[in-house]
Amino acid sequence: MRTRRAVTGFGVALLLAAAPAMAHHAFSAEFDINKPFKLRGTLTKWEMINPHSWFHLDVKGESGAVVAWMIEGGSPNQLIKNGVTKNTLAIGTELVIEGYQAKDGTNKGVGRNLLLADGRRLLLYSKETEK
Amino acid sequence: MNHRILVVASALIGLSAMPLAGQARPKPYTAPRTPDGQPDLQGFWTNATYTTLERPKNVDKEFYTIEEAREVVKKAAADEAEQTEPGTIPDVHYDFTQFGLDRSQGAMALNLRTSLIVDPPDGRLPPLSAEGARRAAERTAARKSRGGPHDAVQNEPLGARCILMDRNGPPMLAGAYNNTYQIMQAPGYVMILVEMLHDARIIPLDGRPPLPSNVRQWTGSSRGRWDGQTLVIETTNLTDKFAFMGASEGMRLTERFTRLDDETLRYQFTVEDPSTWTRPWSAEVPWKKDKGPIFEHACHEGNYGLYNTLAGARAEEKRAAEEAAKKKPQN
Repeated sequence: MRTRRAVTGFGVALLLAAAPAMAHHAFSAEFDINKPFKLRGTLTKWEMINPHSWFHLDVKGESGAVVAWMIEGGSPNQLIKNGVTKNTLAIGTELVIEGYQAKDGTNKGVGRNLLLADGRRLLLYSKETEK
Repeated sequence: MNHRILVVASALIGLSAMPLAGQARPKPYTAPRTPDGQPDLQGFWTNATYTTLERPKNVDKEFYTIEEAREVVKKAAADEAEQTEPGTIPDVHYDFTQFGLDRSQGAMALNLRTSLIVDPPDGRLPPLSAEGARRAAERTAARKSRGGPHDAVQNEPLGARCILMDRNGPPMLAGAYNNTYQIMQAPGYVMILVEMLHDARIIPLDGRPPLPSNVRQWTGSSRGRWDGQTLVIETTNLTDKFAFMGASEGMRLTERFTRLDDETLRYQFTVEDPSTWTRPWSAEVPWKKDKGPIFEHACHEGNYGLYNTLAGARAEEKRAAEEAAKKKPQN
């Protein structure tokens, strides 16, 4: 991941004004900044529920045991508007997810960066993929 | 990344075709009419913008040039899509660009204004009145006396509880996502469906008085009327439980909707609340035609985040108590 560039002039004012409106709740209150993770798993279910979608994954641990994880992502009403459906991401897709674990210590997290098995970033919707 | 460059480029397309605000129009526009003869405001509209409510402190004019506006949009879009630094608070979030949620990927209502506030002329909120400042301090003290933000579900902000977002309105302001509105008109009524939290404002146009003053509602009591081509909606009966930008429950809001052309609906609003601000203030946003439909943003239905936040706070308390117990000298 790249480091946020220093921004000046108009950029600063816009950035400061935009930041609080980004999320409907403080993600840093739900997830622990001190518990970053990177896991590889297989998609078992994608809950397209508002206000945020949840990816369910089976993750194989070091001992070989499979552990179920839930990863929070973007809101489905916008995805559906842009033509993304539950079928856009097939059950069984292998994903590599970097994120932060829930503060209550359970196997839940926010997905900071979602990658496909071949290393490409997952773009569920972008104007680039539409072209 | 190439993807980001394309996103930013697409956000700028709208600006190149944009007429300068205040420029003389060749002939006045007359909005089409509904079957019962009202100016037709129906359809899907967006107010998504990077223009801030208040004018940036380093800007001292009302309008940017097209070149400056392009630069502002380009920077704001790049900042929104920019990656955050791992291990920092802003990094604890999913990436908007992976879900097409950054503003520049959707329809935008771009304009040359340097602030949404048009009055006071400096584009900034008027100073708080003495009463407004006192009430703000009292509210802060009352909030502190109730404990920490995650001590009880009632202490969580209204947005985290999916009750009302700060920009749900009225007045209706844009945020990072969910910036689409659907207007429907029927004889005697106008309905505005707000995408954020899927709230339908149903406003009578038949001249009836507002609700009795002892009835206070999250979004107040709205009554509409036509002033020529302009739909005027006045809202009172707000509640102290939701304070728009620190306003009192006595705030009076006047919204004005005027169709400027097939693609543009001008949205203006004036906030009058002498017990909060030393003078009334007004803002203006050109809404642009958007695509529909609006899909239900049933926020409360799947709000696992609220549970996780409270459960996380309890787990942290438990951990802190256990650590404190360990440090205690053993008798």
